[in-house]
Amino acid sequence: MADSASGSADRSVQVKLVLLGEAAVGKSSVVLRFVSNEFQPNKEPTIGAAFLTQKCRLEDRVLRYEIWDTAGQERFHSLAPMYYRNAQAAVVVYDVTKASSLEKAKTWVKELQRQANPNIVIALAGNKIDLVQPSPSPPSTPGSPEPEDEADDATATPGENAGVEAGEGENLRQVPRDEAEAYAQEAGLLFFETSAKTGEGIVEIFTEIAKKIPIDQILASTRGGAGRPGAPGARAGNAQQTGGVNLEENNAKKDGCAC
Amino acid sequence: MAMISTQLRNFREPTKDQLTQLFFSLPLDAQVGVGEKVNEQERMDISAVLTLGQDAEEDPYPGKLYLLPPYLTFSSLDRKSVRFTLPLCTIRRVERLNARAGIYALSLSLWHGMKIVVQLTSLRPTADLFCALLRDALKAELQRGQMKAVKGFVKTCYSEVLVASSGDDSKDSAASKADGDVSDSSESMYLGGLGLKFKFPGDPKKLREASKSKLWTTYLKCHGRNLTLLRYPQCTRLVQVGLPNRLRGEMWETLSGSIYLRFAHPGMYERILKDNEGRTSTSTEEIEKDLHRSLPEYSAYQSEEGIGALRRVLQAYSFRNTETGYCQAMNILAAAILIYMSEEQAFWLLEVICDRLLPGYYSPSMHGTLLDQRVFESLVHRCLPVIYDHFTQVDVQLSVASLPWFLSLFINSMPMVFAFRIIDCFFCMGPKVLFQVASSLITTYPPLTHIQTAILKINGEKLLQIQDDGGFIHLMREYFASLGDSAHPESSDPRARAITRFQELLLVSFREFAVITDDTILNERRKFRSEIVTSIESFSKRSAIRNLKTLERFTKEQAGLIYDALFKAICVEPPPVAPLPPVALLTTKDTGEERPETRIGLKTFRVFLSEIATWARTEKIVSNGFQQRVDRTIAEHELIDRLFYFWDTSYRGALSLQDLVSGLNGVMFNDLMENIEWFFNLHDKNKDGYLTKDEVLTLSESLLFIFRFEIGDAYLGAVSRFMSNAFEYGDALLPRPDGSDLDDEPPPVESNQPYMNLATFRMVVLADEILESFFETDFSSTFRLEPVPIMEIPNSNTGLLGGLWQNIASDDNRKIFQKVTDEIGKTIGKHQVFHRPAIGKFTHLEEPKARESLLTGTMRRSASKSSLTATESSSGVAAPSALQTSSSSTLTVDQQSLASDISSSEFSPMPSIFQAAANAAAMMERTPFAIDDAKDDDEESDDGSEIADDGVMDEVDAFLEAHDSGLTEAERELAKDLINAEPVK
Repeated sequence: MADSASGSADRSVQVKLVLLGEAAVGKSSVVLRFVSNEFQPNKEPTIGAAFLTQKCRLEDRVLRYEIWDTAGQERFHSLAPMYYRNAQAAVVVYDVTKASSLEKAKTWVKELQRQANPNIVIALAGNKIDLVQPSPSPPSTPGSPEPEDEADDATATPGENAGVEAGEGENLRQVPRDEAEAYAQEAGLLFFETSAKTGEGIVEIFTEIAKKIPIDQILASTRGGAGRPGAPGARAGNAQQTGGVNLEENNAKKDGCAC
Repeated sequence: MAMISTQLRNFREPTKDQLTQLFFSLPLDAQVGVGEKVNEQERMDISAVLTLGQDAEEDPYPGKLYLLPPYLTFSSLDRKSVRFTLPLCTIRRVERLNARAGIYALSLSLWHGMKIVVQLTSLRPTADLFCALLRDALKAELQRGQMKAVKGFVKTCYSEVLVASSGDDSKDSAASKADGDVSDSSESMYLGGLGLKFKFPGDPKKLREASKSKLWTTYLKCHGRNLTLLRYPQCTRLVQVGLPNRLRGEMWETLSGSIYLRFAHPGMYERILKDNEGRTSTSTEEIEKDLHRSLPEYSAYQSEEGIGALRRVLQAYSFRNTETGYCQAMNILAAAILIYMSEEQAFWLLEVICDRLLPGYYSPSMHGTLLDQRVFESLVHRCLPVIYDHFTQVDVQLSVASLPWFLSLFINSMPMVFAFRIIDCFFCMGPKVLFQVASSLITTYPPLTHIQTAILKINGEKLLQIQDDGGFIHLMREYFASLGDSAHPESSDPRARAITRFQELLLVSFREFAVITDDTILNERRKFRSEIVTSIESFSKRSAIRNLKTLERFTKEQAGLIYDALFKAICVEPPPVAPLPPVALLTTKDTGEERPETRIGLKTFRVFLSEIATWARTEKIVSNGFQQRVDRTIAEHELIDRLFYFWDTSYRGALSLQDLVSGLNGVMFNDLMENIEWFFNLHDKNKDGYLTKDEVLTLSESLLFIFRFEIGDAYLGAVSRFMSNAFEYGDALLPRPDGSDLDDEPPPVESNQPYMNLATFRMVVLADEILESFFETDFSSTFRLEPVPIMEIPNSNTGLLGGLWQNIASDDNRKIFQKVTDEIGKTIGKHQVFHRPAIGKFTHLEEPKARESLLTGTMRRSASKSSLTATESSSGVAAPSALQTSSSSTLTVDQQSLASDISSSEFSPMPSIFQAAANAAAMMERTPFAIDDAKDDDEESDDGSEIADDGVMDEVDAFLEAHDSGLTEAERELAKDLINAEPVK
């Protein structure tokens, strides 16, 4: 069953991270890309919240992200505090092709800043940028019959898919990068534009969060609970199979970070 | 932003009748009532002993027989061994049996040929009455033609095919007359799910489909099926080992009772779809997003056939239940049941799940989910204290894992084959199953309700080692993945080895957690309900305030008070439900981007304003010698409506919380000049900077309305002066045609033409001290943010007494009580009613000593300032310079008479301020004045009113004496007791 605690576990730090955002902006897809480097066109909607883990290396430290991927539908909102309590980091996701999703993201940020852990590190991620970039990779002929692959994830409605093919690049964009970035700056958030489909910007989010998190504090506070990192069963998540991500590799190409 | 829902307040504990209906899986009254008229037939229950068949295949069971037209139901005494729910139309024949003396027995022949005997063990007259009622009910059903409907209906049921195909050799092959039908039905198409075409999940061999089918065939043959199923202990046992795939859908329908809905509403599913064709809503958009994400691994949901069915079922549900609409997790449920049943069957089953079995789970506030999570936590605390303590210690919340178990009935938590078996039990035994399993899960694993409790139990050991949420989730995930494994792999006994972990889970669930019963859950829900409602409401309050675009100049606390007032208003006067957008209108997606938001209409606004503005309510202080209370009613006046549209800056005909906050901000922080301007703008309908003559009149009426309960004539005088001055200045300042003489009469201005601008208005207002002081401070202070008295959450205290008290303390009864005490008060002459003034500055009676006519038409300049004795504010107000008006109203106080009044009317203890105000109000009681009154208001009124008031007091005195003596000693005693009695809260 669970692999027992190894030596490295002593230095691994658990970071609780929560994903929030409007329904169907691609929260689960962002996590899936990060955790198993996959992209699934049809993901079941998250009920309550899904839990995944991923280990990362940052310099000489090993971080273990415990990721709570929450349901996006408005009525699940009242359950969210259960998941973001005690979280050290949050990724608030919006969809660059949907202006209203940024508004929802802002309300999440407000809520986190008032209700969550006061030291929480918040990142704002504008997802689905693959939809607004002139696709550099295999140029898909307009009107090619593969709608499912066009959209960032399956949650895009058929209507949106159609739009992708019709509209070229930037005109699908409803949230200008400047606007979101300015907001992030003002609110003190990390800022990224990402695509879970192509993988762009995904690892960077988690790298920058890792850098910003007061790791020593966490270590100090968790050291008390001896044996905690080695809790049986705690590390057999499906995430482990893919192995850890070396965050340092990505340091070079880190994206605009507002900190 | 956000919706404000008061729906949780409307919750009513199910009545005893409803509980009975719930128990027998019958549609609740309210639901039956939709569209068709329920025939008002009498219900009755009676003790009875049930025997099945001539050969007595089953033991006789004592229990209770219920006549609940159009159903006849029975439950054994323990309420679980035996029960049935028979639509009356499936009863073909009723005979009174000739038996030994003193025994009253009925023999019922049912549609499927079974014969049951019920022996009525009550007294003879009771039994006779029951029979009479039964006969009437049966007749009514016959007239409705329901008997004929049965024949067509049963053809849609797979069980008919199953039984028919098992050979006609059986002795009671579907009864005498039904023979023909049986052969028909084997040819007819029965309803089935996607599984028939896309295969059912699981290996049929491993599931032992064949032998299960055989057992069921036997059972259904003698115990009836679909509409006439009699549930004996054997039935429950068979369900617990798992239903055969082909029969599963129908059995779910039968066990959950959704079959009765389908039977009662033929064709409704198609009708709903047809009526709403092409309609889009938030729900349909959300459904669309999730269609491809519902059990995507099952092949049917990779095809248009499956997706289409799923879409139709979810949409039909959302059209029929607009309040609930669509909630994620419902897609998973619907997808799962569609494997086993047709769209129509799934539609009705979904309705039963969402409304009856898991009430409130999928509602916009998800209060049912939150409540049951709390209940589950409490059950774990009680049944598994060790685990509970450990979880508390390491700060792990059970719900992080258990919430999806409950919400999606384990379907995406454990392998589907196992989840379906839990669902079998869930439909058969009710929601407690979830709690039992969940508990056993955390026992050895974390348990579900039954199942949940069981799950927790089974995993107990390991659970005690987990340190955080993540560990908990992982442990559960692993356990679920291993459900097919042997529970005792080490055992030497091959039979023990063959027991899977899943079987062990069910065993623990139903054996060890049998203590979790329907009653337990009902009681626990009752216990935590108000806690959950409070927390949901305070959560939505916090987010509503957080989401305001601006708080303006209010603090968060003040905004909270505004929210409270709004919330109360919505409780009292719910805004109309936003209708679905008309078909084919606004289907382009991006136009409707705005998120739904609660907006209130004029009616609700009136209630809201009455909470905040003292002049927007009418408060009568009633004292009747037993109690003193304030009866508050909501005022109606054009001013209030005007304010509503004034604040409706986006012209939607409805106000949001933000509109209210901004609107109040515009008036509550104003100084003198701002208030004058605000009031001017409020009445300047076309916003051209001018009031018309009509608008000046309206404005005066608004002032009179605000002043309607003020004591004394000071305000009345002020308004009347205002009017005369307004027209005088107004005329004087009108632009004159060039060359005309100043003395000429100005050209007449139509009453709807621009007439007076702000500057002039200001001048007129400042010419009067009372108005000036009104606009300087008093007006703003008529808007008061005060804590709204805590509204009782429909409390559901357990126990008989709680319920009893609730009944007594209900609103209606309180009204009756008040009426009674009023009556007694009137009899003993202690009934008094006063209006509380909106401003309440003049708490004493003040009458101008002498008043000169204000409408002479000449402008009188007078150096004498009006002096308002006994009002603090006026003393500080500097006289507004040259524009000082003529009014030299000196007000004096008739202290003496006031004092004597107080002593003459004996009050029950009441705050002294009220007393004074009330006294004065009584003396001055007058009908709300209209403008006309103001015009001819002069000296007369002084004397007149005084005289009239004296008369009133005399009358009261006389009343008091005359009736005081009329009381008998006993009545007096009673009255005394009543006085000392605690007031009804």
